[in-house]
Amino acid sequence: MLNSALARSAGALTCLLLLALAAVASLVYGNIPVTLGTLLDSLFAYDAGNIQHLVIRSERVSRTVVALAVGAGLAVAGVLMQSLTRNPLASPGILGINAGALFFVVAGATLFSLSLPSDLIWLAFLGAGVAAGLVFTLGQEPGQGLSPVRTVLAGVAITALFVSFSQGLLIMNQDRLESLLFWLAGSVSGRSLDAVMGLLPIIAVAIVITLLMTRQLNLLGMDDEVIQGLGLNVVRTRLLCVVLVIALAGTAVAIAGLIGFVGLIVPHMARAIFGTDHRWLLPASALIGAALLLIADTVARLVIPPQEIPVGVVTALLGTPLFLHLARKTRSLT
Amino acid sequence: MILLPILIYNNRAALETSDLPVLSTLRINSILLFLLIFSIGSLASGADRHAVEVRHSLGTATITDTPSRVVSLYQGASDSLAALGIQPVGMVESWTQKPIYDYLGDRLGQPRMLGMETQPDLEGIAWLQPDLIVGARYRHYEVYPLLDQIAPTVIAEDVYDFRSLLGMLAQATGRTNRAHALLDQWDARVEDFQARIREKLGDQWPMEVAILSFRGDHARIYYKGFAKQVLDELGFKAPPAHRKDTWGIKLTSQESIPAMDADAVFIFMLGDPAIQRTYENWTSHPLWENLSAVRRDQVFQVDPVTWNMGAGIIAAHRLLDDLYDHYGLEDGVSEGCILC
Repeated sequence: MLNSALARSAGALTCLLLLALAAVASLVYGNIPVTLGTLLDSLFAYDAGNIQHLVIRSERVSRTVVALAVGAGLAVAGVLMQSLTRNPLASPGILGINAGALFFVVAGATLFSLSLPSDLIWLAFLGAGVAAGLVFTLGQEPGQGLSPVRTVLAGVAITALFVSFSQGLLIMNQDRLESLLFWLAGSVSGRSLDAVMGLLPIIAVAIVITLLMTRQLNLLGMDDEVIQGLGLNVVRTRLLCVVLVIALAGTAVAIAGLIGFVGLIVPHMARAIFGTDHRWLLPASALIGAALLLIADTVARLVIPPQEIPVGVVTALLGTPLFLHLARKTRSLT
Repeated sequence: MILLPILIYNNRAALETSDLPVLSTLRINSILLFLLIFSIGSLASGADRHAVEVRHSLGTATITDTPSRVVSLYQGASDSLAALGIQPVGMVESWTQKPIYDYLGDRLGQPRMLGMETQPDLEGIAWLQPDLIVGARYRHYEVYPLLDQIAPTVIAEDVYDFRSLLGMLAQATGRTNRAHALLDQWDARVEDFQARIREKLGDQWPMEVAILSFRGDHARIYYKGFAKQVLDELGFKAPPAHRKDTWGIKLTSQESIPAMDADAVFIFMLGDPAIQRTYENWTSHPLWENLSAVRRDQVFQVDPVTWNMGAGIIAAHRLLDDLYDHYGLEDGVSEGCILC
């Protein structure tokens, strides 16, 4: 763990640099090789007749932007969830967000024959919101506001409920599955920027608001009495956290489908490097999450070209050894 | 979330002819009971005329009498039975145009439907008291021991090798003459086609062809399968990159479009709107316009039932009909065709 402010600043800069390199790599590497010069040309001197320019503009820019936003969004949502529930195993999925998105997408496709990716994306977002709203309502301790334990329990119950609904619908309408694959597969490729443009600002705004709340988030780790004694409105802070998680994880799952691991592990990686202070933890998580998903997506393209392996597999493959290494090192330090 | 991938996996498998096997062995106990009852019954009626030993992919089946109650457990077997003039007592449903492909029409009579090819209804099979069951290794190797206890079972090595399947079925059902006639007919047509296309294309023959398919979220290049089997026999070549010993590949990024290139491209896909959209997305990409097959206007959309799912000799003939049409060739043999 980095202890001094100087070391942390250096660490943050390293993360930023890593992210920048990952973004460039994501634009440059793929089935059709592109040089850095061509990349710059395609961005600043676009030639519609040039295949490489076209590939960069039509394919790689969108998947780079999507991976960046989704990775950052999932990681920050993970930090919020873990602080909110004081549960290190909490991840965005635990609020029922993935299950809600899944159910709405499946219901939309099977009952209302929706299949346009742009429709599915908004349905998923709506579903994530509804499920998380339900979980939040059920998670209220009578008279005391949101209870972390109740919230987690409600999340597990709502997840089970929505998943079983979805399975039932899919079993009865197997023919509709084809139109869902686009969303179910969990991927940052093939998402046109037009279709996701409406959702990306939500992630940006939510991350900015989260970064403004670092002081309150730091206090949330303490006992409720202590927090109240320090003059913080626990109920309101938790409510705001829930809304932010819905915005971040709901958008991420709506855009990219079910991508596991980032929301759970990245916060731990950031904590192992930067400690538990949210002023460092949050921005570091956003940077690491975005970089991890970008690198994973780039690697996914390069392993067995021209095929790609699912990005969720790569995030786990890349992230797990790194996480284990950090976990061991942290233990030996403390 | 744990069960969901399994469900999805099942569903995906259901849409293919060449994906992983999905087998239901849940009802084994009740089936064993049936087996007991039926095996006692069959002891009494051992009218042994001429025992035939049929070697198949998973062993040898001894067939003591000319089978009259045949059960078909995959699409190619149903097609081949129809070609041999046998109406099965039970069969698995088709992947599309359920329960029986339109092109097989009423050739198959009114068999009892036994569910999906990937998970046939074993109890239903036992109730039918069949005297021959036809399965495929890839689909049925796990339930083969059970099937073999119900009735003599022959298992094909590949779901798409219509030639060896026909030979095996002929041997098992005692219709070798008919099978020989069918294969002679087929060989004659193949020869006729080869002669005509060589004449038509000149030094462009043999041409390299790619077999493509589109799904809701990806595109596919097939390296093996029914269409490949027939095209190989006709003398078509695959592009060097497509000559691999695996079913094929899935492509998720349109950047990979150049991997699809060949002299000619055959595309089969189902009519789902999501699939149609994928197809439109991919085929409107400038990289697609750059493919040599596209530039030379050699892209053919073909029927997935004929080109992929049918997988028997009737489907093979229909595939050949398509090719005669595509290349504007006169069909010199089909006049006396037994099937047409």
